[in-house]
Amino acid sequence: MTLVDFTSLMVSALLLAGIYAVMSVGMTVIYGVMKIVNLAHAGFMMLGAYLALELFERFQIDPILAAFLTFPVMFLLGGAVHWVLVRRLPHADEPTLPSLLLMFGLWLVLQNLGYLIWGNTDRSIFTPRTLSVVNVGPIAISTLRLVVFIAALVCLGLLEAWLHYTWFGRSVRALIQNRYAALITGVHEDRTAGIAFGLGIGFAGLAGGLLGSLYSFDPDFGRAFLIRAFVIIVLGGLDSISGVAIGALVLALVETFSIIFVPAGYQLAISFALLALVLIVLPGGIASLLAKARRLA
Amino acid sequence: MNASSVVIAAQRVARWRSAPLPWLLLAALAALPLLSPSPNFVRLLFTTFLWVTTSMAWNLVGGFAGQVSFGFAVFYGMGAYTTALLMNTGVDPVPAFAASALSAALVSLVVGVPAFRLRGPYFAIATIGISEAVRVVMTNLSFTGGASGYRIVEHRPFHQLEHYYSALLLAALAFVISALIAHAKFGLGLQAIRQDEDAAADLGVNPYPYKLAVHALAAALTGVAGGVFARYAAFIHPAGVFGFHTSVHILLMPVIGGIGTVWGPVLGGFVFGIVEEEIVASFPQVHLLIYGSLLILIILFEPGGILGGLGKLFRRFRGRR
Repeated sequence: MTLVDFTSLMVSALLLAGIYAVMSVGMTVIYGVMKIVNLAHAGFMMLGAYLALELFERFQIDPILAAFLTFPVMFLLGGAVHWVLVRRLPHADEPTLPSLLLMFGLWLVLQNLGYLIWGNTDRSIFTPRTLSVVNVGPIAISTLRLVVFIAALVCLGLLEAWLHYTWFGRSVRALIQNRYAALITGVHEDRTAGIAFGLGIGFAGLAGGLLGSLYSFDPDFGRAFLIRAFVIIVLGGLDSISGVAIGALVLALVETFSIIFVPAGYQLAISFALLALVLIVLPGGIASLLAKARRLA
Repeated sequence: MNASSVVIAAQRVARWRSAPLPWLLLAALAALPLLSPSPNFVRLLFTTFLWVTTSMAWNLVGGFAGQVSFGFAVFYGMGAYTTALLMNTGVDPVPAFAASALSAALVSLVVGVPAFRLRGPYFAIATIGISEAVRVVMTNLSFTGGASGYRIVEHRPFHQLEHYYSALLLAALAFVISALIAHAKFGLGLQAIRQDEDAAADLGVNPYPYKLAVHALAAALTGVAGGVFARYAAFIHPAGVFGFHTSVHILLMPVIGGIGTVWGPVLGGFVFGIVEEEIVASFPQVHLLIYGSLLILIILFEPGGILGGLGKLFRRFRGRR
């Protein structure tokens, strides 16, 4: 492998990591606050992709902008889902059988609503930007991926700022860190959880919209990404938001470089192998490794 | 054997004798072909028996031990492909089924060994991961025909009743295993794990081997069901036996019937097996939509499934009197 090849693989892995982080961060927030594994994440990503497509086709809105516009819609949808369904689940410190089955049922419903509304043909969002390329020296970078990457960074930055500098953000973090202590200090759990759920779903929709302009999609869209999101949040330690960024980068690097050794069709198997490896070697995720290093230092 | 275990064994025998329902049901189903039913009805029952088997198998892991799996299609498909490959090399069906059980149990370890060490959502997540990964691999694997599927050539005349009885036997075996486990130390250990892993560990139930063992057992049963199906269908392909909808069906039946009970999965399997025909025929596009909504409704309003709902009705009726 030449240096140019290596650098362009590194660049594409980095660009991939951005969108991977956006698609996983919503799951992390929901898991952290409610200890619910949002299996319906894939369904919401699919909705986001179709929403962006509809905005693009009907109103000629730029797909990236459309992806951002899906965020408030999906946020409200997530809040409604929390109000109607998720709120009724018993509180728990770890994912329960009912919560897993409920979210799974919700995923089935969303996916098949998608089939009803949009049929099962593959759709894609195609703009002049789709095939254009920016040349940086000898390395060619897809403009679209670069734009998506920048959009992803902006979102993650906004989320991070929101979590750190607003009252609701602080209560979300408090719930993630210690639910009981947060309740004692007067965090309104139901309301905060509702907002966190809406936020998670909003990010799912946003990620779906961004992914929809990169890949073609059908109502089954998102399942492969759901597994990747799992791997990423397990790598990151489930409820650590900074862990997500690292996890996304690790998965993107492994996937990108594994293409040299393994046919691209087996990429999902690679994700699973990585998941199994992490569970055996590093069950607490990278965050636990960092914490250990900090304790030692 | 000490005195108390003799007493327990005697109680168990007494319970079996006092529970004639399974034996009556088995006898009725075994005698059914005497009425010369239509081949289509026999086929419906055959598939229902397989569903009931997988439903009970899922319930061992999901119901008794409380570990939700979204990936039972992996075992079903492994069993189907193992039987198919072996039968095409001239192995008899029964040893091929045994090999299916073994291969499925081995695959169950691939998920179980990493995921069961930890608590939390890891197992459920890993099952989705492996079912996708395995289907992708099977779709690309050339020696099993990849995505275009695999044909089984059996050099014997086709007898539908032979398949019928093998499925019935398998379902009966699954029921016996499930009923025995429910009352044995092993099953009580599993229920302790479901209720509180820390407390179970304090009482000397090591969750890790328990979970691994029950997962492997359930996988073996599901694998044999896949093998029996493959032999009957004579053609299998990854999108079918390894398909996502297979996992969904297997998970749905015990939930409908009543999770964590012996009879719930049987009931769920029968209801599902018969309703599925109608639903898929009338709503081919949206049958998973119906199942998904059903899942949500059951979880929110009647977590005990049909059996739990019936029990509630029964108690209310008795309370009024």
